[in-house]
This record gives sequence, C-alpha cells and structure tokens, in this order.
Amino acid sequence: MLGATVARLLEDVSLYRIFVGSRLRSQMQYRESFLVMLVLGFVGLTTEFLAIILLFNRFDTLIGWSVGEVAFLYGLASISFGMAELFGAGFDNFPETIRRAEFDRVLLRPQSAFVQVLSGDFQLRRLGRILQGTMALGFAFAWTSVAWSPQKLAYLPVVVLCGMVLYIGFFVLGATLCFWTVDSVEVANIITYGGTEFASYPLPIYHVLMQRFFTFVVPLAFVSYFPSLYLLGRPEASDWPQWLLVASPLAAAALFALVAWLAWGFGVKHYRSTGS
Amino acid sequence: MAIITVDSLRKSFWVNQRRAGFAGAVRGLVSRTGHEVVAVDDISFEIAAGEMVGYIGPNGAGKSTTIKVLTGILVPSSGQVTVAGLVPWEQRRTLAGKIGAVFGQRTQLWWDLPLIESLTLLQHVYGVPSDRFNANLSYFREILELDGFLDTPVRQLSLGQRMRGDLVAALLHEPPILYLDEPTIGLDVVARARMREVLQEINRERGVTVLLTTHDMDDISQLCQRMLIIDHGKLLYDGSVEAIRERYGMERTLVVDLDGSEEIEGPLELPGMTDVQQDGPRHWLRFRRDQASAAEAITAVTSRHRIRDLTLEEPDIEGIVRRIYEGGDRL
Ligand SMILES: Nc1ncnc2c1ncn2[C@@H]1O[C@H](COP(=O)(O)OP(=O)(O)OP(=O)(O)O)[C@@H](O)[C@H]1O
Ligand SMILES: [Mg+2]
Repeated sequence: MLGATVARLLEDVSLYRIFVGSRLRSQMQYRESFLVMLVLGFVGLTTEFLAIILLFNRFDTLIGWSVGEVAFLYGLASISFGMAELFGAGFDNFPETIRRAEFDRVLLRPQSAFVQVLSGDFQLRRLGRILQGTMALGFAFAWTSVAWSPQKLAYLPVVVLCGMVLYIGFFVLGATLCFWTVDSVEVANIITYGGTEFASYPLPIYHVLMQRFFTFVVPLAFVSYFPSLYLLGRPEASDWPQWLLVASPLAAAALFALVAWLAWGFGVKHYRSTGS
Repeated sequence: MAIITVDSLRKSFWVNQRRAGFAGAVRGLVSRTGHEVVAVDDISFEIAAGEMVGYIGPNGAGKSTTIKVLTGILVPSSGQVTVAGLVPWEQRRTLAGKIGAVFGQRTQLWWDLPLIESLTLLQHVYGVPSDRFNANLSYFREILELDGFLDTPVRQLSLGQRMRGDLVAALLHEPPILYLDEPTIGLDVVARARMREVLQEINRERGVTVLLTTHDMDDISQLCQRMLIIDHGKLLYDGSVEAIRERYGMERTLVVDLDGSEEIEGPLELPGMTDVQQDGPRHWLRFRRDQASAAEAITAVTSRHRIRDLTLEEPDIEGIVRRIYEGGDRL
C-alpha cells in the first residue's frame, strides 16, 4: 500500500520533469521574445520596489521599521510568490482550463490531476519576480546591520519555501472554487495578489481586522512578518517565544497545504466539464 | 463477458443563474438560484468485450455526458457503472490506462508541439515500453498515413489530420476499450470512409471494444451491429442496427420542386410513394428502398409531373428518433 503510493509519487515527479521540460523546449524556440518578456517583467516590478523606497524619502521609518527592513519583507514576499508563480501557475490559469474543458484531458490520463495542472503552465519568464525579490533582499542585507548567523542563513530558505507552499495553496484553493463557479475567481485573486502586497509591509500598519484575517484565516503573516521579526532581530520579537516565531512558517504551510489538498480532492469530484 | 456495465445511471447538472459584475460573482458563491438539467436519466446497458456499439441521439441527448461518466471525468448523480471491472470515478487513474478516448470536438494533443512530440509525451504519460511504442507507431503510421505530418505542430494540422493524430494518441497504450465521441465530425467523404476502415480494422484485428457516438447514420450502419438510441437522457432503443434499418432506414425521401407551371393543390398521388409534406411547389415523397430504387422513384414522378429540381434524403438519426416517437413505439 505504502510502496504503491511511493511508486506513484515518483512516477508523478518524473512526469512533472518531462512536462516542464517539453514546455521549456517549446519556449526556447522563441528565445528573443522570452528575453524581452523577462526584462519587461523585471522593469515593471522594479518600479514597484522603487515606490517603496520613495516612501522612505518622506519618512525615515515606517512605524519603527527602516527602509532595509521593509525591503527585506518585500524581497521575502516577492521570492516566495515568484516561486509559487513559477511552479504553480497552472493553478493560477485554472479558470481558462475549466472554461475550455481542458480538465477533461487531464482526467483522461493516468496521473494525478494535481501534478498535471501544476506542470501545465511552466514559464521561465516568471523568473523576473524572483530576480527582483533577490535584488530587494540584497539591498536589505546592505542597508540593515543584522548579524546573519549560520542558523539564520539556513532558516531563510525554509521561510521562502514555506511562503511558496502557502501561495501555491492559495492558487489551489482559488482553482478549486472554479469547480463550482468560474465567475468567482476574481474574489480569490484579490486575496492572492492582495496578499503579496500585504506581506510586503509590517503587520501592525494594518487595521486589526486585516491583521487577524491574514494571520488566522489566510496565515500569510506566519511566513513573512513573524519569521522576519526573528530574522531581523526586531525588538517586537521579544513579545513571543522564539520557538513559536521559528516554527510558525512550517506549521502554517503544512496546515494550509493540507486544507488546500483536501479541498482540491473534493473539488475534482465536482468537476462538471462543459456541455459542448 | 460484459466489459462495460451501466446500471440506472443518472446525471444531472445544476445550472446557476449568472449574475453580472463583481457583487454578482460574490453572491453566486452562496446563492443557489438556478435550475436542474437532467442530462442522463436512468440509463442501463451492458457492452461485451470486442463489441462495436453505436450510441446515437439528437443534440443534447446525453451521449457525451454518458461517455464522460464512463471515462471517470464526471461523477454521476446516481447509479452503478463498471468499466473493465473498475468504478470509473473512483479508480480513475487505474482505468485511464485501459481506455482510449477521442473527442472529435476537442483535441487531446498538445496544441503547440509537433504531433510526434505529443505522441512521445504520451508514451511517458502512459508508461508504454519503447518496443511497444515503436511497434504501435509504425503500425498506425501505415494504416493512418501519418508520415506527411508527423513533424507538424498540431495547431497547423487539418481537421482530418488532427483527428487521425487523436486516434493514434488514444490507442498508443493499447487500451482494450475505446470511446469515440463524434470521430467523423467535420470530415469529408474520403476522410470519413478512411476513418471507418481504420476503426473497423482496430476492432477486428486488435479486439478493441468500441463505443461510438455520431450524427452520421452511415457510420453506424457500416461499423456497428448494435446501437443504443437515447433522447432527453432516456434510452429509447437497444438492439440491432439491422432492425432499425429495416423499420425506418428503408424509408428514403425524394424532395421535388415542381415546375412553376404546375399548379397542384394538396398531396401528389403516386404509386408506392406517400407525399408526407408540402411547402409551395416543394413536396416530400417517402418511399421504401426495398420496393423501389431511387431511379424508379424519380421516373415515377417525372413521368407524371414536370419538375425543376430534386434531392434524395437518406434517413438521419434525428428523423429516426422522430419516427420512433411518432409511432409511439418503444422498441
Ligand atoms: N457541464 C454541463 N453543465 C450544464 N449542463 C450540461 C453540461 N454538460 C451537459 N449539459 C447538458 O446536458 C444535456 C446533455 O448534453 P450532452 O453533451 O451529453 O449531449 P450530447 O448527446 O452529447 O449532444 P451533442 O450531440 O450535441 O453532442 C444537454 O442539455 C446539455 O446542455
Ligand atoms: Mg456530444
């Protein structure tokens, strides 16, 4: 039983690589357009980052957070979200898949529907956001005087991965809604894209209702604000036990992934295809 | 031995009332105003291994819905179904390796990849060993004449080529069961005849069980011994194609336009023919294939009347379904 499950999982992983490989090959046929898209995406996102920096022209700090610290939050959110987009965009484009009944094709094949959708829209040009986030992190390192211990350096990618899982979880939940109604997908999009905006600023600047929403309902604060308190050595960190701050991304990602997975499985059973 | 069993299958769709705008979308999430559409209504049948069965009915009868349930794409509202001993929507992944499906309206291939690359991807998807893959590919290359377009991206293929590509894609993993949902739609006469030959060969040589929907009565009469007729989700007929042909398929209709100089009120009186419908100078004359050839029928008309134009109509599926209703008979 377990053996069979593991074998299936390995099969899925190797299939993911094959699908993504074929998508890459077909994208590489248009190398110039790929580069142009990458550069345009990068430039577009840079203005977003500039807007944050310009904010600090007028205020020295944002409720006690320096420009470097906010750049850190922004970089963290961008990389996580960028990776989620890179690896999970098939779920982001799911309304189209449903509208055109392409999910029929997915269900005809002997692989997990999840893996097939996940690998369905891999586009390298989405690297733009990750590059942009990495640049923001670079500035954050330069502008803050945080002592980066080996533990903290090792922990940083863990937080990024947990963030990625959480964002992919949003995509999956949004996609799951499409099994009932494609029209409501805008609602899910607002939470997902609004969520990255949200994660780019320190939690306390928001209204308390919003803080609670993004902590307990959509646990974004657990992969941005709370671990950043620990990583940046912010004074607020002393309000919480350290293990709680450190464990929060893992717990939030695991829980959210489970919820998204269960919802997805339930949704697939309610897929209705189209009449023509 | 039945390889497909369908017992009291029912599938209905809840169709929501659409609302405009963002607020409408939010309300659409919670409210349940709409109505139910029963696509498949209490259908039962069995198909034995090696059979080739036609599944026909007018638009919206529930054919595609039934096939989607049999593949595991849709979960039925109620009823029992087994395909190759599996419950499709519960054991979808295992079943997928045992079935092939062609949906004429929609390709299963990758739109922007050359056909051959789509096929190689499918080899990995279905885990087909290389020697089997190569043997099957060369078999289909020959009978489907794929060589001219194997390296062409699918989006550039003609409809007939694409359909052949889709058929190969459905059969590369040697499934014992093949579903075909309108595999001849949009094909010209030559391509259609070729497709039929291939289907016949696959069914005969490889013993593949085939369930086929089509709107073309000729597909059915040339390919199938047995057919199922459904309408409004209900099974009207399950039996031999021959019996239907004898009963309704014998009836052809000669549509004639009388010359303007002939002023005739009411139906024409002609031996062996019934004038079933009139519209101005146009008359629909029904006659039986076993009593008169088309040539004899035409002579019978032209010897008595001056006509300007004529066409010969073969019985189509819609016509047969209509006649079943008219006769009030559930066969
Ligand atoms: N996803 C869906 N949502 C709502 N209604 C649907 C859906 N799929 C099918 N229907 C409805 O169910 C009925 C049967 O549709 P189906 O596609 O099975 O017909 P069909 O026999 O294949 O027709 P056609 O010959 O036109 O392909 C139709 O009334 C159709 O509108
Ligand atoms: Mg159909």
